[in-house]
Amino acid sequence: MTKENGGTFTRREFLKGIGVGGGAVVLFGQFGIHSAAWALSGEPTLKMVVVDYNKCTGCRTCETACSSRNRPASVSGKELPGLGNPYFANIMVHNFNPDVDVPNVCAMCADTPCARACPVEPDPKTGRRALYRDQGSHTMRNDAARCIGCGSCAKACASQRTGVISPNPETGKPERMCTLCGGDPQCVKRCPFGALSYVEVRRDRKFYGLGPKKIAAELARNWYGTAGFGGVK
Amino acid sequence: MSGKPGYHGRILEIDLSSGKSRTVTIAPEDLDRFVGGQGLGMKLLWDRLKKPGVDALSPENPLMFIPGPFSGLPVPSSSRTCVVTKSPITAPLKSDHCHASTVTYSNMGGFFGPEIRFAGYDGLVVVGKAKELSYIVIDDGKVAIRDARKFKGMRTDAFDKAFLEELGDRKYKTVYIGPAGENLVPYSSIIHTAGRAAGRGGSGCVMGSKNLKAIAVKGSGQPGVADHERFLAALEKARRALYGTTYAKSWAEQGTARAIVGNSNAGTESVRNYREGTFTEADKIGGDAARRDVWVRDFACYCCPLACKKSGVTKGKYGGVVHDGPEYETGVMLGSNLMISDMPGLLRAIYNIDDLGLDQISTGNVIGFLMEAYEKGMIDRQFLDGIDLKWGSVDATLAMIEKIAAKDGVGALAAQGVANLSRHIGQGSGKFAIHVKGLELAAHNIQGNQPRALSYVTASRGACHLSGDDIAMQNRRAMLDSTGMCFFPTFEPALEEPMLELLSAITGREYDKAAFEKAGERIFNLEKLFNYREGFRRGDDKLPDRFFEDAFTIGAKKGAVLDRRKFEDMLTKYYQERGWDPETTKPGPAKLKELGLDLV
Repeated sequence: MTKENGGTFTRREFLKGIGVGGGAVVLFGQFGIHSAAWALSGEPTLKMVVVDYNKCTGCRTCETACSSRNRPASVSGKELPGLGNPYFANIMVHNFNPDVDVPNVCAMCADTPCARACPVEPDPKTGRRALYRDQGSHTMRNDAARCIGCGSCAKACASQRTGVISPNPETGKPERMCTLCGGDPQCVKRCPFGALSYVEVRRDRKFYGLGPKKIAAELARNWYGTAGFGGVK
Repeated sequence: MSGKPGYHGRILEIDLSSGKSRTVTIAPEDLDRFVGGQGLGMKLLWDRLKKPGVDALSPENPLMFIPGPFSGLPVPSSSRTCVVTKSPITAPLKSDHCHASTVTYSNMGGFFGPEIRFAGYDGLVVVGKAKELSYIVIDDGKVAIRDARKFKGMRTDAFDKAFLEELGDRKYKTVYIGPAGENLVPYSSIIHTAGRAAGRGGSGCVMGSKNLKAIAVKGSGQPGVADHERFLAALEKARRALYGTTYAKSWAEQGTARAIVGNSNAGTESVRNYREGTFTEADKIGGDAARRDVWVRDFACYCCPLACKKSGVTKGKYGGVVHDGPEYETGVMLGSNLMISDMPGLLRAIYNIDDLGLDQISTGNVIGFLMEAYEKGMIDRQFLDGIDLKWGSVDATLAMIEKIAAKDGVGALAAQGVANLSRHIGQGSGKFAIHVKGLELAAHNIQGNQPRALSYVTASRGACHLSGDDIAMQNRRAMLDSTGMCFFPTFEPALEEPMLELLSAITGREYDKAAFEKAGERIFNLEKLFNYREGFRRGDDKLPDRFFEDAFTIGAKKGAVLDRRKFEDMLTKYYQERGWDPETTKPGPAKLKELGLDLV
């Protein structure tokens, strides 16, 4: 990318800007990546968790914070935050060799390829398929009673977006759709390195909607200048 | 699942000889008394090796990966796995048992320990020996042993990538050995994430002796805690003690590499095979230089807010991707100790050592010894298979590293460590063969640092810089390395109270500072009992003559040298305070009774 830019950026300046953030917006403007109008008029503003890959250290605290909130524990009849088993987290850090860590989390896609892939007949009253966007939280939810566990949503997510949705190994029903923790995402709050932020969805953000392997490959090329990147096929 | 909060109450035992695995219940009192990690590993070793002199490389010697009660919970910096086994390196001066050696433990960060706990175990115990090179895959309750012959001889960086592709699931956390471990180089390491190591003490060699190339583990579970609300409250406090603090930021900034210049200035660095404490070119390989020229990213172990690990790239003849480093130990042992100040060359050496699966510390120490013997004319170029092993030579160092891992020519000798090398070379070279009990010293020099000398000679695994410089510190470290927490965050005083609170909330046993140290004392004493039974005595707690004879000629501690009488007096006082017989170092009956070890 330095080449495309006519070599006016030093590598370090480039590295500083390549994460998602204020610097990135300026940089991508210079790269000529066009901003796209995202929110359709009349549609609600969508918000999501975004990652600054320069700050992320791969510690996985986000996974534990997510799980703790979204997988509460019942202790002597009281519902309490869970112990943070990362197996149940909706954000998952993918790590690679050489060292690149990519937390993967729902991109809150306005066009919901996951829900569009759902083959369940829409409910005549609500118009919802089994997987749908909740009108209150604007997050994706699954109606387990109507879900047939076919995995179409996960496939659509993987082929078109981040691939964060994963079917439950036993039921096949989709999991890991971000809940935004009721508007106070715990992963953002608990990240020790300030690598996560809770912001408006913008499709023109660098890396928006990409899967971890694609993101990791580009980061590895930029950080380490290597194409021999482990585990990415 | 177990009655014991904070634990699963069981370990997974894999017998590579029979190809079978089983879960084994751990007695609740062992969990109470020996906690996990280094302590529980020691207790399991004691129970399994009922007699002294078991060959460390025999199928009988268990190779154990033990997390602690913090592991698998989001406790800050609780990423550690302790690898415990009987040492293939150490030896007493005299013993009735031909394979006598100490316990060894090696503590590794990353993600492996927590994953063991997610899979439902408080530890993995590998015994026996596979017929062919094999690997183990653990997915919760499912365990498989598979053929690893196609990976034979594969270096660790390539293997790290190839293994995950073979497994087809990136969620697996893996540990593996390199060619050095397969070739049974005694000081082989076990590698994790291509840049983290259970390096010291030869655990990679024991793994190689079992024909075990790798272990992969993933899991979906988690142990429970005794008091859920108290745990959550203490977790908040622990995070507050570290998150965003100047202390945490200083670790992220330079990691342990900060000390490369700092210790050189203080005169406590291992330089020129421990001849000096100051390296005049330390700034060329220190943290500032690395930050400026090499590092592009800081990264962290499981739930750690410090991020002391670094990765980056170097250019030129030795250039390439840097998984890690320089850290203090790697930077000094391959840099200052060998008079190497070429940063890319240093990093290439560090990379190759991890790639081959050798211990960075012992390897740097061995090469330093050979450089000195070569300089003094005790060995010639022919002895070194033509390698011109001069101080500061990167090419010669790289060549020697390959030879050691392959046990090729002079490498077969060098692989045996400085104690054996100096015996072979003779000519008074023992004076600068820098080891205790056969294990090489680390990157902290001691002519001007007597407390650290105590750590080296009294540590249970041979020369260990981490054991602790006094009794209280030794007890605390033994306990800390049994919990699963890293010791880097524990220099922050504000963490102490929440850490004890967390341990109490998890286990249901009340820990204050005294109880914490007492548990550590029990662990340290059981290690001593093990080593004593093998035949280690006071005479084995011995330093090479260099430290009493070769005063530093440069730096802040110019003129510093240890005084033999003061040193021996310090040791006598140490044994007395420990409740051990100062003549033999045998733990006394009163101390054993006090610690509840009189019946073991």
